[in-house]
Amino acid sequence: AAQQTAQKTAAEEVKAPVICGACGAACGLIFVKRGDRMYLLPNLEHPQPGMCFRPASALQLWNHPLRLKKPLKRVGNRGEGKFQEVDWDTALNEIAQKLRDIVNKYGPESVAFTRHDVHSWILPFIASVLGTPNVVGHEGTCHNAPTVARGFVLGAGGPPSVDPDYENATYILLVGRNLDAAMGLVRQVAKARERGVKIVVVDPRAPNLAYSSVEWVPIIPGTDTAFVLSLINVIITRGLYDAAFLKKYTNAPFLIKPDGKPLTEKDLGGEGSAYLVYDNATKSLVPHDKAQDPALDYEGVVQTPQGEVRVKTAFKLLAERAAKYPPEEAEKITGVPAADIRRIAVEFATARGVAEDGWYAAKNGNELDLYMAILILNALVGNIDKRGGLCFQESAKYPNAVTTAAGKVVTIFQVCDVGITAQELPAPKAQRVDKVAYPLATSVFDALLDAIITEKPYPIKALFIVGTAPFTRDVNTEKLKQALSKLELVVAIDILPQDHVDWCDYVLPDLMFLERGEMGTMKWSLHAGVVYSEKVLDPPPGVDARNAFWALMEIIRRAFPEKAAAVGYTEKYADPHAFEEYEEAIKKAVIISLANAWNLDPARLEEELKAKGFYVFKKKSYEARPYKTPLGTPSGKVEIYALRALQYNRDPLPDWRPPLYKVPSAPDEFYLVNGKDQIISAHMVMVKNAKWIVDRTVWMNPVDAERLGVKDGDVVELEGLDNGFKAKAVVKVTNRVRPGVLFTYAMAGGRTSRLLTGEYEFLREGVNPEWFASGKLEPVSGSAATNASVRVRRL
Amino acid sequence: MRLAHLWDQSRCIACGACIAACNAANYRSSTGENKTWGWLRSNIKRIAVEKGPRPMLLLVQCQHCENAPCVTVCPTGASYRDVDGLVKINPALCIGCKYCMVACPYEARWLDEETGLPMKCMGEECLSRVKAGLRPVCVEVCPAGARAFGDIDDPTSEISRRLARSRYVRLLEEKGTSPKYFVVVGP
Repeated sequence: AAQQTAQKTAAEEVKAPVICGACGAACGLIFVKRGDRMYLLPNLEHPQPGMCFRPASALQLWNHPLRLKKPLKRVGNRGEGKFQEVDWDTALNEIAQKLRDIVNKYGPESVAFTRHDVHSWILPFIASVLGTPNVVGHEGTCHNAPTVARGFVLGAGGPPSVDPDYENATYILLVGRNLDAAMGLVRQVAKARERGVKIVVVDPRAPNLAYSSVEWVPIIPGTDTAFVLSLINVIITRGLYDAAFLKKYTNAPFLIKPDGKPLTEKDLGGEGSAYLVYDNATKSLVPHDKAQDPALDYEGVVQTPQGEVRVKTAFKLLAERAAKYPPEEAEKITGVPAADIRRIAVEFATARGVAEDGWYAAKNGNELDLYMAILILNALVGNIDKRGGLCFQESAKYPNAVTTAAGKVVTIFQVCDVGITAQELPAPKAQRVDKVAYPLATSVFDALLDAIITEKPYPIKALFIVGTAPFTRDVNTEKLKQALSKLELVVAIDILPQDHVDWCDYVLPDLMFLERGEMGTMKWSLHAGVVYSEKVLDPPPGVDARNAFWALMEIIRRAFPEKAAAVGYTEKYADPHAFEEYEEAIKKAVIISLANAWNLDPARLEEELKAKGFYVFKKKSYEARPYKTPLGTPSGKVEIYALRALQYNRDPLPDWRPPLYKVPSAPDEFYLVNGKDQIISAHMVMVKNAKWIVDRTVWMNPVDAERLGVKDGDVVELEGLDNGFKAKAVVKVTNRVRPGVLFTYAMAGGRTSRLLTGEYEFLREGVNPEWFASGKLEPVSGSAATNASVRVRRL
Repeated sequence: MRLAHLWDQSRCIACGACIAACNAANYRSSTGENKTWGWLRSNIKRIAVEKGPRPMLLLVQCQHCENAPCVTVCPTGASYRDVDGLVKINPALCIGCKYCMVACPYEARWLDEETGLPMKCMGEECLSRVKAGLRPVCVEVCPAGARAFGDIDDPTSEISRRLARSRYVRLLEEKGTSPKYFVVVGP
């Protein structure tokens, strides 16, 4: 009988490539149906295949008992989580009515959207149709700091525009990064292990990755910059840097004046604006590109029409800065033995290592300096855009849904004709609220909260929370509650009852990733490519979930039919099935745009995408930037001295600054650090498997536990040193965290939604680390301190 | 033919993919509790050493022993060692006495309360996959290159090649079980 079943299921095997939507990494998967069994496997042909706990549990998300099944309308007070089910028409019409009133009274810019990765490509289109610039994402508690640092030093953008070439690396330094995603990177590391790569993980707690063969360096939280500057110090003082690279491809030889600005031809009364260096060959000051042998350590006095000016090379300034952190000094700050710092520096330089450049990085509110230092460390050993080095990703030339230029918003329908009659839209007059305070940041949600509360720079009255979870994502829990209470309209679009749902006026059930088609840039691969999936499942019986894109377009159409009509969206799409044509038109436009950009036949490209789930346009070619193509920095070089920082009155060199929360100083005071692993995402921690796989305790080192008389499984009270917030937690005594530090997973525990019932009450266990955060943000980058400090009391 | 599992402790990053994929494929993403282990319905369990000098992890599942105590104690022949070298259960012969669960020194079997039958690696879907020439799901999903499966009698199989160039241990060898779950500890 068993043999017969096997033959039968083998015959009935169905396979379809899909993009994983369990986190933002978009790994390649295969949806498999063998007989009556459904599960996911990695797409092994894909350059970036999955998988991890999250997609392996995806079917438990699909038919989750707590899935939002029908639109909900609030019947109690905000925060009470009391709802009644309403039909889709009622929900959409009532939301549209309120939206119309708000827009008519306060203008379209008073409407804001917040998002994570899901729907992030289309939300700017939706917001543009409505006429608001305010799409404010999660980056303030994620990757703002490394993104600004990448802009400063490499002229690059957000992750993964630059990433280590893991597969070919010989020595990988991960500071605060644990490869919790993308899993394709873990596969690359596995290949590098075949060749004996060494991996160093610098983190106050041992992430899951540290179970494998790595060197774990348990560092005092918030001191990473001192550690990296100390590595830089050792590399410079021992002469282990790549001088040829620094001279030619970085601004290390640039001469810097006492005011911090670079010396240019203009300073000498000349015409050009070229950056000047001291040429050892001619013993004279010349433009950088004219120098035969630019000096790295020149210091001297220059005659200018304005008088004498003392100048020093950028390299010398960096060396002086790093000299503040010799290993013995760094040991006092970081808790990492000086001998280890020295050894790691020498290993890194002689192996020509690569240091990871930051993704989920907002921890201590001082990470802009950290990532500047890390990028400089890569440059010091000349390992930029080389095989095994820190590489620029090839651009896929993936189109935006909307592009703003010259006061107009151009939609993808103007760029690619797919039979949708659309017009240019007027650009919003208002500036995005978070950009006023943090012009360089990708998004700062905390600034949106300030705008809601203070009504400055202008009032924000409506918020759509689309596929993201602000209470587990963001700092300033009380401010978030205050802001949610003040808004005139709050709408959540989601799959499961995240905590903010209790604060919303309407809750609309969204499709999960297996239930909708999707396309996007191939992420976390150095090749240029595109990823693609078609829906493989309908929502389970009883779940009337609909695509968030449709729901938002319907709200706009019902409020402002003329605005929707401007992008060819009419009443005929009110039927969700008819809407699939509209979605299809957008998909076609993207395919045409990509086919044009890469000189391909669109039909052929679509066919390939359907069959394989991805398409690679161009393989990574090494040694392009900055060797053949200038970088996007002011000088076009790698800027070890960030000239762009000067425009923002920001130190152009990294330095160690203390974290933006009170540092523990008494025996019962601890750092409380948080983080993720391959088992964590806001949604996947809510499946039943997570009850056993995800840890909702607070970790404490055995040394501390013994001193405090705390045993494994004991309940303690934690009190935030900055905000006085108190909550109880169960302690796990483990060697996975350094003494003086507590660790708990972000997003996993301390859930509060009233809609969490029955066997899913387990999500109330544990604490949400954001409750204890000081709520302070780093200037310029808008990166929040999600770590905190607490007092521990035995109960 | 002697089919066997390899798990590389030096590469495993504890991502949980194998554990959850086993649940999805073999137990249809069941949300019920595996009460024997206090765990999800999966044939793989995770043991962490929390107080040693450094964090350590062990994934444990059926070792497909050549001298399997579960087979020896089974009064009906339901537990048997197949010609492919895998230890299997014939549910038609099982009377639910649980001797096998007690006899296994690895505690690798758990009880499905609904059917009263013991469960273990390989699950139904993995057996069906292996029969069809596919890899078990835990091996197929592993992103860290920490797993292999195949015939240790075939020197050209992936598992044989990896064993030939690795240091490995077998668990509780002193019990005389002659286990075929190879724990690689380094190159």
